[in-house]
Amino acid sequence: MSLEIVVMVKQVPDSQEVVIDPVTMNLNRSLTRNVTNRADENALEAALQLRDKVGGRVTIVSMGPPQTESTMIECMARGADRAILVSDRFFGGADTYPTGLTVASAISKLEKFDVIFAGEESSDSSTGHVGPGVAEFLGIEQATYVSKVDYEDGLIIAERELEDGTEVVKVPTPVLITVLLNANIPRRQTLRRKIDAIRRGIEVWNLEKLGMPPEWVGVRGSPTIVRKMRSIKEKERAAKKIELDQIPELVKELYEKGILKLEESQ
Amino acid sequence: MSGGMSDFDVIVVGAGPAGSSAAIKLASSGSNVLLVERADPPGSKAVSGGILWGKELEKVVPDWEKVTPLERFIEYKSTAFLTEESKVSVDFRTKKFEKSKTGYSVLRAKLDQFLAQKAKAAGATLVTGITVDSLSMKDGIVNGVVQDGETVTANTVILAEGTNPRVAIEAGLRKPLSDLDSAIGIKEVVKLSENTINERFNLKGNAGYAGEFVLGFLEGGVRAGGFMYTNKDSLSVGVVISLPHLRENGKTYAYDIMEKFMQHPYVSPLVEGGQVQEYSAHLVSEGGVNSMPDLYGDGYMIAGDSAGFTFSNGMVIQGMNYAIASGVLAAETAIEAIKKKEFTRGALSSYQSKLERSQVLMDLRKFRGIDRLVWSRLVHETAPEMLENILFGIFYEDGSPKKHLANTILQGISGSNMKKSELIMETYRMLRRM
Repeated sequence: MSLEIVVMVKQVPDSQEVVIDPVTMNLNRSLTRNVTNRADENALEAALQLRDKVGGRVTIVSMGPPQTESTMIECMARGADRAILVSDRFFGGADTYPTGLTVASAISKLEKFDVIFAGEESSDSSTGHVGPGVAEFLGIEQATYVSKVDYEDGLIIAERELEDGTEVVKVPTPVLITVLLNANIPRRQTLRRKIDAIRRGIEVWNLEKLGMPPEWVGVRGSPTIVRKMRSIKEKERAAKKIELDQIPELVKELYEKGILKLEESQ
Repeated sequence: MSGGMSDFDVIVVGAGPAGSSAAIKLASSGSNVLLVERADPPGSKAVSGGILWGKELEKVVPDWEKVTPLERFIEYKSTAFLTEESKVSVDFRTKKFEKSKTGYSVLRAKLDQFLAQKAKAAGATLVTGITVDSLSMKDGIVNGVVQDGETVTANTVILAEGTNPRVAIEAGLRKPLSDLDSAIGIKEVVKLSENTINERFNLKGNAGYAGEFVLGFLEGGVRAGGFMYTNKDSLSVGVVISLPHLRENGKTYAYDIMEKFMQHPYVSPLVEGGQVQEYSAHLVSEGGVNSMPDLYGDGYMIAGDSAGFTFSNGMVIQGMNYAIASGVLAAETAIEAIKKKEFTRGALSSYQSKLERSQVLMDLRKFRGIDRLVWSRLVHETAPEMLENILFGIFYEDGSPKKHLANTILQGISGSNMKKSELIMETYRMLRRM
């Protein structure tokens, strides 16, 4: 058995360093470092574990500007076999609709795909649209918010984390799976694999390669219009430093204020 | 690895000024070189005061003054003694620095990335975000590096890991850092507008200020120096604290010293209103020539801070220029070795002789033991207070008849915490070492 596995990744500004420009209200990207979206690292790890167990190949697909290459190389240094960057100035300014369409179009150009992995959402826009969108455009099954993936008898077994519990689903391939942030521990990049990845390089696919009409992609293909942005001021929280021996008083105070409640033990 | 061939001619561990300079030199001579750096991007883990003194960079980037991300050239140099309430400083400014520039303030996050990219452009394989675990040895000869259980081989490894050279230490090529030859540096980059900086420091255009301070207001035997450098639109401000003294004291926190420096009455107006952009801390190697390891051996060379190539005499703190110089010399040695196809200790020994003929080892040997003076009681406890007393005596008008200048000075000295004979001896020692 051999599975053709695709992982969708996105390069995002490091969320710990994000600075909002007070005038334009946009992210000031010049000050921030670009990193791989963290949930996508979990998606990649899930894909690599599946490949290592079942056999097959992991292909990274990303849409973004040329500097996304560093993220793709990083993914290969963690163990991915192939990397395709979908990049063209026509794709710029896309909202989640044409992004999903463009990525789906790229994936459909692959000879075969059995399982597509994506992170649950990106840290810079947090919509969670693109993964499920790709599944819809491709007309395949999907399982979202997955924490564990297995493969048996030609079926993907996915454990979904829901608000009120977990759900285990069995789905036939091809299927798209969105993986929860922190669902696993991504493996390290290795020096040997990174050198190989740099030597091999990545493939770059442009609009022409995808054969899509320009009005379907990028800002022209985006139905969303942003009318106004405002930044949210953080509310001051009460903070208090206490010594260790003051904990009983703190507990008492919190209890009296009704913040802590006493639960009867059986 | 196949047929006894190595993956690379040279592997350079660390993409700071030393490592990247070595890689640029090697790659531009056609060598197959791997430059591996744990930070991603390079420079994001670097903590450096931030003045690049000297012109060594010219050797690897000929038009460096035009293309390197430099902040300001140093036109205004100052060395000052601070007490709780005073500042006594020697300021030196000259138009000559405008014509022949000697130092530039730099931000390492930009500089290191620039140099690493230069190495990549010259043909080096640049790998970032990967930490080398150890050296690979075969029959006692270094033949590559190991990461995650896999070996990547090379004929020569240049170790340019910075001040805490983990790989060199692990391989037994360098002693672990000890309290005695290290200090701890804390640094903030404070954002201010270009105009504000020009006004506060009385600067024009891209002229810059570099100030070193003796923090004479610390208690309990703790000794520290401060620094403040102007970048284009930010200040690099920090302290360097002697570790032995800090440990002896046992109850002072390094960050409190930083706070005290920033809040000093003659420091705080300069940084007022600025936004902290970076806050970082790092060990600073202070050992100089006394704690220098073997600089080369079978299949390896050590360059930059890893080799202990740092120097401070209280007026100039030097590290980056030595790093670049030693990186270039290591590269030149490796290029010769590649030609001769010989990478033994003997073949690499010309690295040492090149260094001995260069500014790097000449400076370090000439100023051997200067660190003891820089951290001395005379400089940190006696001088600041004494200078304040003397100058106060000279300038303060209390209506009584003026004393002879010599008397004022003698009075200032006797008010200090050191005996006169001790003071004379210490001053004599200081002048000799300078």
